[in-house]
Amino acid sequence: MSQCPPFAPFFGFAGVASAMVFSTVGAAFGTSKSGIGIAGLGQFKPELIMKSLIPVVMSGIIAVYGLVVSVLIAGSLSTKYSLFAGFVHLGAGLACGFTGLAAGYAIGHVGDACVRAYVHESKIFVGMVLILIFAEVLGLYGLIIALIMNTKVAQASEFC
Amino acid sequence: MKPNNSSGVLLKLMAFSIALGVLPLSSYYGSLHYLWEGNTIYSAITAVVAANVVLVSYIITATLEEGKASKAGSPSETRKER
Repeated sequence: MSQCPPFAPFFGFAGVASAMVFSTVGAAFGTSKSGIGIAGLGQFKPELIMKSLIPVVMSGIIAVYGLVVSVLIAGSLSTKYSLFAGFVHLGAGLACGFTGLAAGYAIGHVGDACVRAYVHESKIFVGMVLILIFAEVLGLYGLIIALIMNTKVAQASEFC
Repeated sequence: MKPNNSSGVLLKLMAFSIALGVLPLSSYYGSLHYLWEGNTIYSAITAVVAANVVLVSYIITATLEEGKASKAGSPSETRKER
């Protein structure tokens, strides 16, 4: 079996797609779940809406992480493509995608609950931002692993 | 006062949404070509830093705006009590 079979780019493209798709699913869940809480908060205290949109912005950042990894992987795709590079790219895309899914899930639940509690107790804001930061770095870990894996492709590039 | 305030908030939100979309990608490609000479890892890290800068500036803006709103609200309350 050769090092560069014709089906190798399938795994590369699957990596690009999975990084974008799964992190977007996580970001969508985070945005929608915290948006429900913000709609509840907006009925009682509309002046707090700008502060309570922070979970939504953090969900957007999770999607930006997936976008950066997709752009990064897509930049090193080519027609002379080894199976090794395909697997590396698939692993990188899946790492970023599923960690983005996890981060978006956490941001959604935390954002919803903390935003509803912010109506009654304003000191919960600092705690909410801290928890959201911890949830967002989960996506950042996946991005770091995707970056590290992507360097392996550049090192081992001349198989075919 | 209220319609003026809500249009200002809407403009700020639109500016931050556009910045969150445009800044990371543009910083990725810009730093890839001009700063890091083709090193993709450093330019990806630059894009991540740009996205987090947008996030931190949004948190600071939201906190400052709430400080301004509460300061503007409290004198009118004391006039009511009199």
